[in-house]
Amino acid sequence: MSAFQLLQLVSQLLFVLVAVAVTLQTIRRPLKASLDTALLFAVVALLVAVGWIHQLDGVKAGRWENAVTGSLLMAIPYMLVRLVDDFTTMRRAIPGAAAVGLAASIVSLFVFPPPYSGILALLLVFYFAGFTTYVAVAFVRASRGASGVTRRRMNAVAGGSLFLGLAILLAGIALATPGAAKTEGIIISLLTLLSGLFFFLGFAPPVWLRRAWQEPEVRGFLARAASLPRMPDLREIVHELERGAAGSLGVANAAIGLWDAEAGLLRYNAGHLLRESRADQMIGGHAFIAQEPVFSDNTERDDPAHADLYRKTGARAIMAAPITSDGKRLGILAVYAAHAPIFADDDLLLLSLLANQAAVILESRILIDEAARVKALEETTRLKDDFLSAAAHDLKTPLTTIVAQAQLLERRARRNPGEPANLEGIESLVTESQRLKRLVLELLDVARVEQGKLVSYREPLDLIELAREVCERHSTPLHRQVLDAPGRIVGNYDGARIVQLIDNLLENAVKYSPEGGEIRVRIRQDGASASLTVADPGIGIPTADLAHLFDRFHRGSNVDDRQFAGMGLGLFICRGIVEQHGGSIWATSAGIGQGSTFHVVLPAAEPISVTPRPHPISLAVEQAG
Amino acid sequence: MSHPSILVVDDDSSIRRIVAEILLMEEYEVVTAPNGAEALLAVEHERPALVLLDMRMPVLDGWGFVQGLKERDIDVPILVMTAAQDTARWAAEVGAAGHLAKPFEMSELLSAVERLCQAG
Repeated sequence: MSAFQLLQLVSQLLFVLVAVAVTLQTIRRPLKASLDTALLFAVVALLVAVGWIHQLDGVKAGRWENAVTGSLLMAIPYMLVRLVDDFTTMRRAIPGAAAVGLAASIVSLFVFPPPYSGILALLLVFYFAGFTTYVAVAFVRASRGASGVTRRRMNAVAGGSLFLGLAILLAGIALATPGAAKTEGIIISLLTLLSGLFFFLGFAPPVWLRRAWQEPEVRGFLARAASLPRMPDLREIVHELERGAAGSLGVANAAIGLWDAEAGLLRYNAGHLLRESRADQMIGGHAFIAQEPVFSDNTERDDPAHADLYRKTGARAIMAAPITSDGKRLGILAVYAAHAPIFADDDLLLLSLLANQAAVILESRILIDEAARVKALEETTRLKDDFLSAAAHDLKTPLTTIVAQAQLLERRARRNPGEPANLEGIESLVTESQRLKRLVLELLDVARVEQGKLVSYREPLDLIELAREVCERHSTPLHRQVLDAPGRIVGNYDGARIVQLIDNLLENAVKYSPEGGEIRVRIRQDGASASLTVADPGIGIPTADLAHLFDRFHRGSNVDDRQFAGMGLGLFICRGIVEQHGGSIWATSAGIGQGSTFHVVLPAAEPISVTPRPHPISLAVEQAG
Repeated sequence: MSHPSILVVDDDSSIRRIVAEILLMEEYEVVTAPNGAEALLAVEHERPALVLLDMRMPVLDGWGFVQGLKERDIDVPILVMTAAQDTARWAAEVGAAGHLAKPFEMSELLSAVERLCQAG
């Protein structure tokens, strides 16, 4: 046996083996794509078998037999076009045109006996080469749009089409120039061998090859996985997991639905057509309920209730696996594709593996969040402790003076009953007890802020009237208060608390401003809200402090604790008063030494409009009708 | 030492005043300072028999004051007197002879001062 014959035999054997393998696969899983693949290789195997029979009996093929083998050969481009349709999207006219071409070829092969006329041979080659080239181009395009394993499969198929096209071209040339038939024969055999091999690898890759083709993406995903839980945003983590899963399986789309146990919903990131779904809905829901991976190669058939949605998302085939860590259901991972043959059964295993990986990542993310929550709680406790010890310190200081002063007065009075009253000592008693009273009241207010019970009785009051009263009380020659407020602004206010609020803001303004500084209070109405601003020319507020100014026990970093006494509760209470009135409070400052402005917005009654409104007219029309 | 001199260091003026008044009534000599820095100057001039020391103060706190004493090689008993919960620990930290938690009774103040002045 010559090397050429050996080559021919190997290539023919390969085609037969592949045909058997693909047929078995089709029996196991009767998908349209597997059927088409099996048909393609069956046609080729049949051609090979016919050749063998002739070699064995040495009989030259008859006319009808030639017509049959020719027809089988002509069926190959049509079969390939069907496969293009299975794996990617194409114009609907193409399969029809291929079918017409095939039918015309078969008819002409049976009607006209060989040798074929030049025109017929040309038409046949044109049909064959044309559609084979189309198939090659279509698969190259599909590979461009795909990634990972799918891209590699499409490349292999495109390569197969290319080799097949070349083989046909060479065969055509060999027919036209009957000279060096032997060399061309070898090359044609080699090309067919290669095309068969490539088609097989592309259309029905064996498990080990699929795994090898998926490996780079899976490996890349696992390499990134370790750093994922520390990403700042959970949505980013989910997005990365989706990208990793889609890449590993070679599909364009993957979606993770996170289980929201309270709402009983699987929630999806923005960007997916679906925002949420019930656990018992959709194919992903089946995977979640059953707690095992699910594969649907025809979503519209398997879940007709959501056929529209699947069509819109281009999810003709879906694989979904539960994301579950130690029995804790976290959600589902679904990958979907417009063409079922993109998936293999074996992919379900890979998807489960990726879902488990996702579970580990999401679980550690949850643990990290949990740790952060515990830390925040510890921080709150620490703040509470700090607050308590500071409050205790501030209460004990005036108390020390009061106790000692009272005891001193008592001892003196006992020793020298006739001595005139020590006025200075009594004054000190009064001042210190008032300081203590103020602190105690502030602390009680803080407790009420936290209970949301700071504001109690509310009645319609004029905000401007309340503000004027406070301004007059605070105005001194050293700190002039300028009130800029027109007319009346009536709202439902707790008068005592609003006075306390303005009091506090003005006190701060005075405390942190140089002598002679003018404090401007401005009140305006804007529809159903009133705005009050207090602007001072004082020490200002560093930008970093602005956000925490109204937190409990916060004091500006540029405030000297000893120069400006206070526990840092005033603004916390102010915020409580404003918020419990349904308003908001914030501060602005151009920076240290640039003064500060406090802004308060409170709800107010709409001013009563004097001009008649248009709608009574429309009412009149209605009545007339 | 019939009239020992006592230095009262506290940033709260009303406390300085009342403590001074109580001590004066018992015929001690009293010097006051609002912070550690001024207290160091006072110690150098007056050489008091005892220092009543608040710990948390602006400019120079109680710890700084004690450090300053060591640097100047001055040895004087100290009575730590604070409103903080850590009064005893702080007193131990600076090697004080005693401590007094605010608010204290007048009698507690006087007996502590008397004891430390005699010991000194």
